[in-house]
Amino acid sequence: MPPPRTRDARDHRDHRRAPSEEEAPEKWDWSCPETRRLLEDAFFRGEDPIRQGSEECQRFWAFFERLQRFRSLKASRQEEADPGHPTHSIPALADLPRAYDPRYRINLSVLGPDTRGSRELGRCLPPERASEFRRALLHYLDFSQKQAFARLAKLQRERAALPIAQYEKRILRTLKEHQVVVVAGDTGCGKSTQVPQYLLAAGFSHVACTQPRRIACISLAKRVGFESLSQYGSKVGYQIRFESTRSAATKIVFLTVGLLLRQIQREPSLPQYEVLIVDEVHERHLHNDFLLGVLRRLLPQRPDLKVILMSATINISLFSSYFGNAPVVQVPGRLFPITVVYQPQEAEPTTSKSEKLDPRPFLRVLQAIDNKYPPEERGDLLVFLSGMAEISAVLEAAQTYASHTQRWVVLPLHSALSVADQDKVFDVAPPGVRKCILSTNIAETSVTIDGIRFVVDSGKVKEMSYDPQAKLQRLQEFWISQASAEQRKGRAGRTGPGVCFRLYAESDYDAFAPYPVPEIRRVALDALVLQMKSMSVGNPRTFPFIEPPPPASLETAILYLQDQGALDSSESLTPIGSLLAQLPVDVVIGKMLILGSVFSLAEPMLTVAAALSVQSPFTRSAQSSLECAAARRPLESDQGDPLTLFNIFNAWVQVKSERSRNSRKWCRRRGIEEHRLYEMANLRRQFKELLEDHGLLAEAQLVAPGDSYSRLQQRRERRALHQLKRQHEEGAGRRRKVLRLQEDLGDCSSEEDCAGRAADDNVDIQDVKFKLRHNLEQLQAAASAAQDLSREQMALLKLVLGRGLYPQLAVPDALNSGRKDSDQVFHTQAKQGTVLHPTCVFANNPEVLHTQERETAGGEGKQGDKDKMNSSHQLLAFVSLLETNKPYLVNCVRIPALQSLLLFSRSLDTNGDCSRLVADGWLELQLADSESAVRLLTASLRLRAHWESALDRQLAHQARRQHLEEEEGEEAPPISRKEVAALSRELLQFMASKVPYSLRRLTGLETQNLYVGPQTVTAAPSLPGLFGSSTLSPHPIKGGYAVTDFLTYNCLTSDVDLYSDCLRSFWTCPHCDLHLPLTPLERIAHESSCPQAPQEGTAGGEEVAPEPVQKASALQRPYHCEACQKDFLFTPTEVLRHRKQHV
Amino acid sequence: MAGEAEHHALGVFECQLCALTAPYSYVGQKPPNTQSVVLLEESYVMKDPFSSDKATFLVLGSRCSLCSRLVCVGPECSLFYAKRFCLPCVRQHLSAFPQEIRQDVEKRTAPSKKISSQHRSQT
Ligand SMILES: [Zn+2]
Ligand SMILES: [Zn+2]
Repeated sequence: MPPPRTRDARDHRDHRRAPSEEEAPEKWDWSCPETRRLLEDAFFRGEDPIRQGSEECQRFWAFFERLQRFRSLKASRQEEADPGHPTHSIPALADLPRAYDPRYRINLSVLGPDTRGSRELGRCLPPERASEFRRALLHYLDFSQKQAFARLAKLQRERAALPIAQYEKRILRTLKEHQVVVVAGDTGCGKSTQVPQYLLAAGFSHVACTQPRRIACISLAKRVGFESLSQYGSKVGYQIRFESTRSAATKIVFLTVGLLLRQIQREPSLPQYEVLIVDEVHERHLHNDFLLGVLRRLLPQRPDLKVILMSATINISLFSSYFGNAPVVQVPGRLFPITVVYQPQEAEPTTSKSEKLDPRPFLRVLQAIDNKYPPEERGDLLVFLSGMAEISAVLEAAQTYASHTQRWVVLPLHSALSVADQDKVFDVAPPGVRKCILSTNIAETSVTIDGIRFVVDSGKVKEMSYDPQAKLQRLQEFWISQASAEQRKGRAGRTGPGVCFRLYAESDYDAFAPYPVPEIRRVALDALVLQMKSMSVGNPRTFPFIEPPPPASLETAILYLQDQGALDSSESLTPIGSLLAQLPVDVVIGKMLILGSVFSLAEPMLTVAAALSVQSPFTRSAQSSLECAAARRPLESDQGDPLTLFNIFNAWVQVKSERSRNSRKWCRRRGIEEHRLYEMANLRRQFKELLEDHGLLAEAQLVAPGDSYSRLQQRRERRALHQLKRQHEEGAGRRRKVLRLQEDLGDCSSEEDCAGRAADDNVDIQDVKFKLRHNLEQLQAAASAAQDLSREQMALLKLVLGRGLYPQLAVPDALNSGRKDSDQVFHTQAKQGTVLHPTCVFANNPEVLHTQERETAGGEGKQGDKDKMNSSHQLLAFVSLLETNKPYLVNCVRIPALQSLLLFSRSLDTNGDCSRLVADGWLELQLADSESAVRLLTASLRLRAHWESALDRQLAHQARRQHLEEEEGEEAPPISRKEVAALSRELLQFMASKVPYSLRRLTGLETQNLYVGPQTVTAAPSLPGLFGSSTLSPHPIKGGYAVTDFLTYNCLTSDVDLYSDCLRSFWTCPHCDLHLPLTPLERIAHESSCPQAPQEGTAGGEEVAPEPVQKASALQRPYHCEACQKDFLFTPTEVLRHRKQHV
Repeated sequence: MAGEAEHHALGVFECQLCALTAPYSYVGQKPPNTQSVVLLEESYVMKDPFSSDKATFLVLGSRCSLCSRLVCVGPECSLFYAKRFCLPCVRQHLSAFPQEIRQDVEKRTAPSKKISSQHRSQT
């Protein structure tokens, strides 16, 4: 590369000229803006080291002012010549300048201003001023060089001082000889940042490093890029769910475990990497454990692939032996000695028997520190508590103590805090004051805070545990493991000798389990099993996990996936299942997306699905603040939480597009964590791309703004945004602020405080990133379309939500209407007595869940609970069931009970006249009259068949598309618009039907004696062949007859119903003029084949037309008429017609 | 994207005194991407890793004009006075320099032997 040859001809005028400045002090004002602009015009042009208007330019002027002041001070003792200075015999020394001038110490020179173009400049800028300016510039550049070099040198010193630096050669050597190497070292040894760089330096260029957390991917990529001196080059990149900085030049990529698994799914041999670093294996995350299993199988097929497992010094032998006794390079951590003080809590007389944590033992530690250590000796305190409730209990007491002593700033730290509040723990306390950080186990490994000298360990942790029987997540408190206890202790010795107070006895410690329970042993395995199925790794039960999951969890997961229709009875992926496996979301939410796409509700469903996939956006303070609640009320939907979230997101997008700078304030006022809304937007976009990729959503037309002017405008805006982002990144590494002592008095979420913080960085970088990542216009269009959704569309959306959430249903307790708001109780199939989560919209407004009282008077006295007869019973469909101190229903939507159960239930059982129905073996519906019962049942059968076939065709179409891989020409959509419209209309009509009925949860005893059981006399049903099923066979277990795979007729025990099979009553078909005495079963049979009944697909015309015909012919059966002694081939209707002749 | 290519490392600069290493992308007196700055010595230059501006460069070091050792610009290894001199050479010929330089050198500490030896043992 030849050095650029430009303007070489220009003389370096002042190159060797002795300095001679400070002439007549005429009127020359350096700080005059015009003067400055003049100089900037002359010196700071495009390719010059400093650009006009840049931050660097501001820094220069600040430097310039300092230099001027310094000069005027030194001006007096200027002209001192060095007296004795003999000429040297060595040539290199001989021509050194005789008189010292600081500018001889500068190794660069700046070319003069370009005055050719500007005569004005030549006139206004006296040459001596120009050279004075140039001199200053020179000093500035020299100063910048020195500063940058000092940073570089410091960086290298720090790297070399890391404990792992001693092991570079050993790690590389071991890796050369072995396929798998375990690098074990505790936090602070530098393994995560250094090992990737060692690999780079050793010449590897296709390195992947997995991290369990997304945040770590970004921060490590930044750190490693910075340390390897290519911060803005592209050798180091990261790839996470929403963003990637990866390019062709990337040599190391940091990515999440989930993402790597997806890459393996696509290319099982991982050809794109030569070295794979799996970091934090000791944390035993579900996907990490699975990845290890996948790798162990892959290694023999890829002998050239190297794997480095990085772990804390926990259970190293487990990993080593799992990979055939892989060699271990163990790096000592850099820890200072830590004194352990055991302070077991005696059973103290607690003030009350409440579950609230007693803060006194913690306060005693604060006191002890105050008494023993002078405030000048710095060092902060980190307290490990089990959960958020415990943190707030101690927070309250500690803040009172702190305001007394003025020696502490108390800060909470847990994952539900806003990012800004989490960041506060990194700020510094004022002199003489210590930070007291109250943290969950997040500070054990995920967050590293410097300056901690004292640790208090409560010995407890709250963890999600999964109960496969109840299918529910439980947040329970456990004793920690010895490994965690050591990890917590270690946090006190990172910057100097420390003290760890353990609030338990040494004997307790000895009784702790050595290691924490791996995730695979305590969480639901649905997602894992689905992923295993889609990666074809074989039977999950025999997969060689590093430690196998509990068999019960696996079985529950497989059953659940079968229940959800993702696996078939032979446990293979169904089309919907393979699609779900590609959506990185909960099965339930994936299902909603697919269902929504059938009804052209994809756009609103995208928003709902995204909203349900992120943490609740409501801040903790939002729950208590009345103002927030009032501000949020207009956005609440009385239909349920998913629709409230839907409204919030849409309103936020509107705010963004109208006055985006205000969105942060808008959120704060409503007690909403804006970060979660950004996550929703990101997730929504990802879902959208997935649906487009899978042909479930027509790809958005690229609507370019019409005229070239607005295009230009848009491009300009984007450029400005990019610049803002770059500037922000330049100024990255947020400066640590000094905490205010009084901070603890006010909740940070109070307006002023936060506003103050927000004002600090005047660029809302989240907003900038948001605008760069999303097409705001498109989002806004979707949001306003959402506001224009018709009642019908909303109802349909709710229906799809309900179907997606099924079977996660809860029934209100019968006595709820007489209870206080806070005492409302709900029952699920597996769990009785659940309550609404406090954030739930129904928690403050449970009346909408009660049946409307006025209707009860209507029903005429038949028998028993007639007062419960009502047409407005509702169920709650919920997203999750979470047990903390109580079992909570999270994210609920209310749905009409009877109609939903008829449409969704996987098992429906009836009595003889169909007036009594049992759904999924736990909910009993008693209808007032059997006529309407049969009508609804018939309608539901037809709608279900129709809906199912539409979905099947949609999925089959999608699968075909996948196969054909972009055949040219657009394939016709699988379901016509008309057909969809007809189906939606009928579904909505069905949902709106009003029939009085009672609803109750069956008792345990009742569920045991629900069915008549197999009948010894299998009397053939009076009519063969229903709904195309070849035979109406007796149900082998329940008794009665299996009508479809979900409907069993007349299998319920009851004294009245035994003979209802043959009870006929006069009936008129609503579609044709048939009027006959028929049993309910016969009515269903007739209606299903009545030629005048609305047929599925008829509205659509085109391709679906043949189906009903086929079905009809399949219904024909040989029929022997007793009356005329003839044999026919008749459909059930034809049989009826024929018989009519003989009446 | 012409600029990208110019930042490709040509090699690794290593100071012969303190063993500091860093990849350099240019050697000479006219750093790429900037037109108005000239260097007064033949320097090893990298793009400033701490700046997002691709025109910002960082001089890593150059050869001592007496012993031609490759030295970094760090104050513990060398100084510039019209030319580059490594500190050992400056100390050896201290009298040839003006008083300001002499005073300055006395203030400076000897290069950190610790780090340099550590580095050596690894390479
Ligand atoms: Zn050096
Ligand atoms: Zn020398």
